[in-house]
This record gives sequence, structure tokens and C-alpha cells, in this order.
Amino acid sequence: MNRLRAYPGESKYQGLVYLLPGLAIYLVFTFWPVLQTVRTSFLNWEGLAPEKNFIGLANYLQVFTDDKFWLALSHNLIFIIFYCLIPIFIGLLLASLLGRYPLKGFTFFRTILFLPQVLSMVVIGVAWRWIFNPTFGPLNLLLRAIGLGSLARPWLGDFALALPAVGSVGTWVQYGFCMVLFLAGMQRISEEYYEAADLDGANAWQELLFITIPGLRAEIGVALITTIIAALRVFDLVFVTTRGGPGEATLVTGFLVYRSAFLQNRTGYAAAIATILTLIILALSLLVRRYQAGDAWSKT
Amino acid sequence: MKKYSLVFSILLVLSMLLAACQTATTVPTQAPVEPGKAEEPTKATEPGAAATESQTLIVWDQFYRDVESNVLDTLNQEFEAAHPGVKIERVVKNLDDLKVTEKLALSEADGPDVAQVNQGRSDMGALVQANLLLPLNDYYTKLGWDKIVTGSIASRNSFTADGKTMGSGNIYGVSPTAEVVGVYYNKTLFQKNGWAIPASFEEFMSLLATIKAAGVTPISFGSLDGWNAIHEFSAIQHLLVSPEYINNLVYGTGAVSFDTPENQLAAQMLLEIADGGYFTDGFAGIGYDDSNKSFKAGEGAMTITGSWLASELIEGTDQEFGFFLLPGMGGKAGMAIGGVGIPFAIRQGTPKADLAAEYLTWMISPRAAQLWAEISYMPAMEVPADTKIEEGSLFADTLKAWDTVNKANLVGHYIDWATPTFYDTLVAELQKLLGGETTPVEFTAAVQKDYADFLAKQQ
Repeated sequence: MNRLRAYPGESKYQGLVYLLPGLAIYLVFTFWPVLQTVRTSFLNWEGLAPEKNFIGLANYLQVFTDDKFWLALSHNLIFIIFYCLIPIFIGLLLASLLGRYPLKGFTFFRTILFLPQVLSMVVIGVAWRWIFNPTFGPLNLLLRAIGLGSLARPWLGDFALALPAVGSVGTWVQYGFCMVLFLAGMQRISEEYYEAADLDGANAWQELLFITIPGLRAEIGVALITTIIAALRVFDLVFVTTRGGPGEATLVTGFLVYRSAFLQNRTGYAAAIATILTLIILALSLLVRRYQAGDAWSKT
Repeated sequence: MKKYSLVFSILLVLSMLLAACQTATTVPTQAPVEPGKAEEPTKATEPGAAATESQTLIVWDQFYRDVESNVLDTLNQEFEAAHPGVKIERVVKNLDDLKVTEKLALSEADGPDVAQVNQGRSDMGALVQANLLLPLNDYYTKLGWDKIVTGSIASRNSFTADGKTMGSGNIYGVSPTAEVVGVYYNKTLFQKNGWAIPASFEEFMSLLATIKAAGVTPISFGSLDGWNAIHEFSAIQHLLVSPEYINNLVYGTGAVSFDTPENQLAAQMLLEIADGGYFTDGFAGIGYDDSNKSFKAGEGAMTITGSWLASELIEGTDQEFGFFLLPGMGGKAGMAIGGVGIPFAIRQGTPKADLAAEYLTWMISPRAAQLWAEISYMPAMEVPADTKIEEGSLFADTLKAWDTVNKANLVGHYIDWATPTFYDTLVAELQKLLGGETTPVEFTAAVQKDYADFLAKQQ
């Protein structure tokens, strides 16, 4: 980090003043509410009633003994596969295809593949609800058209399939982001490495494994952090598609927070779940940061 | 620097997440979205210009949709005409806005004299607890409301004076509108195939088999959204249990159990309908609106839902629809799920209580019933004989259904009111039951656990 430097005749702190408006907005609308949420998690509060009693860690104890919380958290962890691991894998594959070999209409493909990322989650949820619809949804219609009608299912209402179904929508949303991130990163990897590898007789797979992936360490780190956070805080997609159902098959922590806070008036309890979720995300992010350590993050 | 920038950026993202939760502390809770209560911009009617030395009655209501608002405007004008010197200052808000603002407003000395107050523990209960609503028991008999509003309906707007127990104690409001859950049927299909409206639940069940044999989906249904599954179950449940039981269950009185043979039987019958293939194929993956769209387009012979769907069903379709109450076991008249709309209440401490009470009488007058009926909105009151209602229309059917159960004191309840978590529990457990994950016995036991927890906390 550069030390604060000033132009002649100016205070070296002048620059800090320009940060104040942004900082004020951040403090009032983000930082303060966060503190309030943490504070609320120690209260017995029903959201409307004026009485708020300090009950220490009782909310947290209740969270940890609530089967629904653990169930929801396990679903979030499964979502990491769909939101994070699969998209990064697909993203790497596509990036190495689109980035390494000149392709006609490269920009076109890149745009198309990135498109899900710019759509609103609610729009995506509504659209996929139709795609999954058992009677008129394209998915089942397609299966029936190609003679696989026996595989047609009420996807979002099936206890075994609802979670993978919602998860795969997450995959569809995330892989484009990973791909674009990796494509950008690949432009930084010197062509010389690939040439040298070619001379040594390396194949495309080996180049991906030993040049591209290590070279993309920083980008993979960023992709891991953002997609893991997306998997852990998922709410909108579940809210629009299944509302946690059928039964509790797609219940996730984010939805549990919403349900406790807004539908059941258990505000303190909801705040405790939110705080725990935040700590989990923080811990996982720091873990990923470890993986990145000593790499190119600082260069970006 | 690099370390801090990362930690900071993570904090930033997380704080946004937490900030989203924080709104819980400032925004009041919302009930699950009910059909026909979508949000729209609110508007306030301008107070009339000609202010005399007379009395002004401030009224807050939530009839903000144009057709509904016109009914209120007409009634208000006629009230003013009938009471020279009285002026009504009307404030219209949508339900959510009304709920947020009226708690404070009703505690002001110049607050609304009359306001619509949502039923339920967190709204009417909280206001009663804070002593902000006038008990209407005296007016109830004095002004003849008891002849318009029958006992079981009146108790829906009742609370004990401590605001803790619903359904008993003082009356705090009167409702102008009503709704009932029953069976919509496709008249076009019924006529074409020669199917008749069943007179008993047994006939209903054999009709389902007949319809399925003809290659038509007997009951159009989708349980993806969850809440309407409660109605499918509870409609059958209402045929098996007594009004006292449903009242006790919903009001949390009498320490009743959900784990009863009747409820198990209702769950069993629901399961028979599902397993018999009488619901739409793949219903678990279909939402409420999508299911209704299919029904409206002529797919499916019947659907079980509330009277609120009627106005939606008649628009933009070539199919003709009718409505009947789910027939009782052995043809015996059974209860039907239903209730009354948001009631009008009077502010405790208003100097114009008598005038306000007269206004309430006006709101449940035959004239009010007539105006509501004319826009196909079901009034809680009996509709005068000279009201223009198209013979054989869907609205005529729903009206008749409401009249039948209301007169016989057989209006049931939305059972998801029983506990704050009952809605979520019922939805999850019914989906499990219908998905073959649990048995009827396990279903009632799981729901009873929720209910027992609530009763224990109430002690």
C-alpha cells in the first residue's frame, strides 16, 4: 500500500474527505443494520412487540438444537456442488475451449453463455418453474417426444429430485460467470508456456491441468468465494420455485431466516441464524483465501 | 493491503446479506400472500369541500381497487345524504399500509373514528391488548347486528379483553364481506358427459372414478405452492369434525388435539384421492395459478378452492363454470372452510362512537350487500331479493353456497390460523403425506407436535 501522498499545497488527508459520503452511506445502510442484526440475535423479540428481552445465547442454543437448521444447512452444502464446483468445472472447460483455440463467433458464444448471469433471479426462477412444469413444461415434453416419457417427473415436487433440480438452475446461472472470469484470466497467461509445452509434446488436457489451472489460481479463488457465498445465502431461487418444499426437501438457511423473521415473528431467532450463516461464510471465505495465498491476487 | 481488501470485500458482501435480514426489524410481518390481496398503489380520497359546522367521521378502509372503492364511495355518499350535517373523511390504503399505520393512528386523539382492522393475534389482538378498540357488544344487540351477523361469524371478530384469546369475549368489529371454500366444476364438461352434482361425499368419490374413466382429470390441483393443499385436506376434515372442534382448534381453547381419528380419516381420504390418480398428473410440481389456468382452459372437471377465484374464472374463457359445496358424508350437511373479510372497528375514545356505530350498521346494510353483489363480491350479509344477479351464474352459485353454510352456522375456519407456525407445518406435512413420505397417522402426529408446542407456550 502506498503511503498517503499529497500534491504540493494540499493536505495529505484531503483525499480521505472524498470518501466520507460513501462511507456515511455504508455505515448507515449497511454497517449499522449488520450490528443491529447481531444485537437482535441476543434478544427475545417478536418483531412487532415493544418488549425486547436480552436472553444471551438462548437463540443460538435453539438454532443448534433445531433439526430444521441442520437440514437446511446440509442443503446449502449440497448447493455448493451445484453453485460452485460444477460451474467452475464447466467454466474451466469452456474457457479452455473458447480461449485457447480461435473460434468463429467467439464473442457471440461468450455473450450467450454469460447471459444467465445478468438475468434477475426471480425471472430465472419463474422461467425454470415453467420448464419443470409436469404438464406443459418443455423438459417433460422433450422427454416424451424422444420416447423417454417414463423419465418425466414432477421435478420440483419430487422429494428426491427437487433439490438437484433447483441446484441445477444455480449451475445454469453461475457457470457463465466462471467462464468469463477464467477467459479474462487466461489472457494474462503468457503464450510462451503453451508453446514450450507444445514443444515438449503436451496434449490439451495436460496444458489445462498444468498451465491454465495454476495460472488461473487467482480467478478460481474469486470464483470459489463468490459462488460459495451464492450457494450459502441462496433464497430467491428457492422462494420462487419451491418455497422449501416438497416437505422440507429444498429448505435452505436463507429461507429459514425469511420464514422465521417475516412469517413467524421470531425475529431474534432469525437474526441468530443469519449471524451464524455469516460466520460460516466468513470462515469458508478465509479458507479459500488460504488456498490463494502467495498467488496472483495481489497482482490483480 | 491485499489481505485487508479481501476481508473488507467479504465483509461488504456479508453485510449486504445481513442487511437484508435486518429489514425484519422495521417492516412488519406479512401474512402469506392471499389471492385477491395483491398490492397496488394507494390513494386517499379528497375530503369534500363543503365543510359545515357539522360532524366529520374519519374512516380508514382498505378497499383500494377501483370497483371496491366505488362501492365504498357510493355507501359513504348515501350515508352523508341520510345524515344531514355529517361528513365522511375517507382514507384508503392497501391492507399492508393499513396494518402498518393504524396502530399508531388509533392511539391518537384525532385518529380515525372507524377503521378496518385485520383479524388475528398480531393485529386485532394487539390493538385490543392496548385498549385501542371499542367493544361493540351493546351496539350489537341495540342496532340489530345480531340479526344480520350470526353467532359463529360474530365470534370471528371477537377477543377476550386481554387480547389473548380469539373467538370469545367482546366483539370488536363487523365484516361486510365473506368467502367460502368449495368445489368449482366445469359445467361444459359436466353437461357433455352427463355428470351430475354429487349429493353426498360418497357420490363425490364415485363421481371421481367416473370422470377418470372418461379420460378427464377429475380434480385440477397443484401442490407446489403448498397453501392450497391445506384447503384440500381441511375441506374434507370439515365434513368429519364438529364446529366446536374447529373453533377450539383455531382459537386454542379446550386443549383439543390434532391427532384424532377424524383428522387421520380426512388425511386417509385425501390420500385416496391422490393415489387414485384423481388429481392432476404430477400435481406435486404444479403451482396454484398454473393449475387454475389449466382448469380455466377446460382441463380437469373440478377444482377445490375458495370463492375468491370466481371473478377470475369467468373472464376470457369459453368454458362455463359452477360452484357447489363439498357434499357431506352420507349427504348430511357438513361444514365448509370459510370466513369473513376484514372487519370495521371503532376507535376506543372517539367522541363520535354512536355515529360510528351507525356507520357500521350502514356497512352491513341490505343496500351494502346489494352493492357488493352487483360487483360479484361476496357480502357477509344476506343479499336482498331484488338484487340483479344473473340466474345460474357462477356468482349466484358461490352466493348460494355461502348462504347455505352461513344460515346453518356451518362456516368453518382456515386452520392455519391455529398457531404462528401452523401454516408452514401443515404445508410441509401435507406435501410429505401426498408424496408418500409419511402415513396419515404420522401426518396427524407431526402436526399435533406443532400444536402441542404452541399450547404449552400459551400456558
